Amino acid sequence: MTTTPMLEIRNLHARIEDREILKGVNLIVPKGEVHAIMGRNGSGKSTLSYVLAGREDYEVTEGEVLLDGVNILEMEPAERAVAGLFLAFQYPIEIPGVATMTFLKAALNAQRKGRGEAEISTPDFMRAVKTAGEKLNVDSDMLKRALNVGFSGGEKKRAEILQMALLAPKMCVLDETDSGLDIDALKVVSEGVNALRGPDRAMLVITHYQRLLDHIVPDVVHVFSDGRVVESGPKELALELEAKGYAGFDGEKAA
Amino acid sequence: MSAGPVLKLTEAETTLVAQLGARGAAAEAERLLGAGLPTRRVEAYHYTDLRQLLRSVPVLAEAGPATQGPLSIPGAVALSITNARVGPIPTLAQGLHGQKGQGGVLAQRDDVLVRLNSALAGEHLALEVKGAVTVPVVIDRRIEGAASHAAGAVKLFVADHASLTLIEVFSGSDAAHVGNHATAITLGKGANLTHITLNVMGPTATHFATNEYHLGAAAHLRTLVVQAGGALSRTQLFPTYEGEGATAAITGLNLVGDGQHVDLTMDALHAVPHTASKPLFKTIARGRSRAVVQGRLVVARNAQKTDAKLMAQGLMLSDEAEILTKPELEIYADDVVCGHGSTCGRLDEDHLFYLMSRGISKSVAETMLVRGFLAELIDPITDETVAALLHTLIDSWLER
Ligand SMILES: Nc1ncnc2c1ncn2[C@@H]1O[C@H](COP(=O)(O)OP(=O)(O)O)[C@@H](O)[C@H]1O
Ligand SMILES: [Mg+2]
Repeated sequence: MTTTPMLEIRNLHARIEDREILKGVNLIVPKGEVHAIMGRNGSGKSTLSYVLAGREDYEVTEGEVLLDGVNILEMEPAERAVAGLFLAFQYPIEIPGVATMTFLKAALNAQRKGRGEAEISTPDFMRAVKTAGEKLNVDSDMLKRALNVGFSGGEKKRAEILQMALLAPKMCVLDETDSGLDIDALKVVSEGVNALRGPDRAMLVITHYQRLLDHIVPDVVHVFSDGRVVESGPKELALELEAKGYAGFDGEKAA
Repeated sequence: MSAGPVLKLTEAETTLVAQLGARGAAAEAERLLGAGLPTRRVEAYHYTDLRQLLRSVPVLAEAGPATQGPLSIPGAVALSITNARVGPIPTLAQGLHGQKGQGGVLAQRDDVLVRLNSALAGEHLALEVKGAVTVPVVIDRRIEGAASHAAGAVKLFVADHASLTLIEVFSGSDAAHVGNHATAITLGKGANLTHITLNVMGPTATHFATNEYHLGAAAHLRTLVVQAGGALSRTQLFPTYEGEGATAAITGLNLVGDGQHVDLTMDALHAVPHTASKPLFKTIARGRSRAVVQGRLVVARNAQKTDAKLMAQGLMLSDEAEILTKPELEIYADDVVCGHGSTCGRLDEDHLFYLMSRGISKSVAETMLVRGFLAELIDPITDETVAALLHTLIDSWLER
């Protein structure tokens, strides 16, 4: 029996200004699986994540993106989130003046409203944030500050995963969630991510170090180069990549 | 006498000269006859050319019945000035004393709005505060009935170590009124005042207000001037730091919409050593509109250790909006920390995208960011009912 993949990307081309960055991405992530994308800096990984999330600066010139069978390319970023897509940013944005708790509640209720569900009550919300926060070492002091403002690199990444846990998306895209984390923080974040693995959820973990994949063990590894997937294989592919370097896969010289 | 060219008076000037004459202010009438209203050649009015902008002035306001303003604050002491007449003064909270006084309240100054108010304000509301008054005092300053010209005045004395929150709400019937209001405030030693003024005049009104502040030793003042109404508005803030250790957070918010010209002008004098101020003025402009923010810091020769930083921030929500900012420092002391800065821009696309990527719709995300831009002004207002009122006012402006 075949089931609808959680994410299916077909021949995706995208450009920014006059420069083509994505040059025909093909990728399928079935439900319940965690896939990794590895590729050198500048290969277009973040671009792929932004195009999936619907950032305006990019122009999609060809291809399709299906989320649980539904084409999302015509949707606004907010609609994609309501449909179940979540992007953990490589560089989470600092927003002065917007309190973290206010933001979390607005996001959660916007998604519930978009799905025709009732607003969450304040006690339930507080409890949900507290539970998620404890697992990720996000203390109430951090939550009292403005969104991401003055957070350390590690705090920002933990806050992203906290949002992910609260919003419970179907499809999680994690862009370089390991960057800027020391080994302890990496463990905390990985445990947080692993706790969210489940049969009705899929994940796409973007990284350019093999290290993260020791903690978040993927089902499939894709090698990304110059705007497309050039090779896919089991998790051992990550080790091979580490040993041979990207040049062994894409024939380009190391950057 | 020089025989220079005789000024051809505008319609507004002609009316004002007649009104001054009728009120027995011959010298002021003579002066206006000679000089006219200030034009762009007068430095302080460079971006608000009154001669051009103030087309006509309606008749002087007749006495009208005291009426309720549009904003109410539960539990507040409610006072009123309607059509420049002081309304009935109820029994006031402990520590608060109010009475009607004659004439204007502002110190002499070479400024046309000050001179006009002083000449035309027949009476004023005089308030005195002793001790800590915990309920806010609200003065509804209304112009009722057909279009008229009203010059009302308030004088407030906050005694040594006393504290108060004063809110003045400027509103009126929907007519082309010209309000030219004055508020003169003196803070004694260690006194603490929060002074909020809200301009919610109708869309065809002209609103002028002059707030004069005298700060005694170790006094602390927080102001928030919100200008949301009127076709033409200008609020002038004249704080003088007269006692050592006086500090102030002078803040202002212009909410400027299509067709409006809104001016917020501060001219501050740090007269003695060891005083500090952080003026912060924010403007949100949309539609075809013009906002003017002027700030001048004068530091006297002996006012060493003055710590003053002026900041102006603008947020443009349309291409046709214009925000003009003019900071000026005039420093005669040598051991001071003074500066100014300004920023002006649109909502940040990265901020919007981040919020939207979490499921928040574009319009809600925009509102969150605008509120975030204003948080610095509203968050320090500790009285919850007052803060709630400000949020309501801002939200209704945003939804307009
Ligand atoms: N806003 C932009 N304008 C122009 N070029 C961009 C922009 N963003 C990214 N790029 C370019 O696109 C390429 C891919 O970048 P990115 O997707 O960030 O790669 P990765 O995440 O794999 O390091 C890089 O060459 C980068 O310089
Ligand atoms: Mg990247």
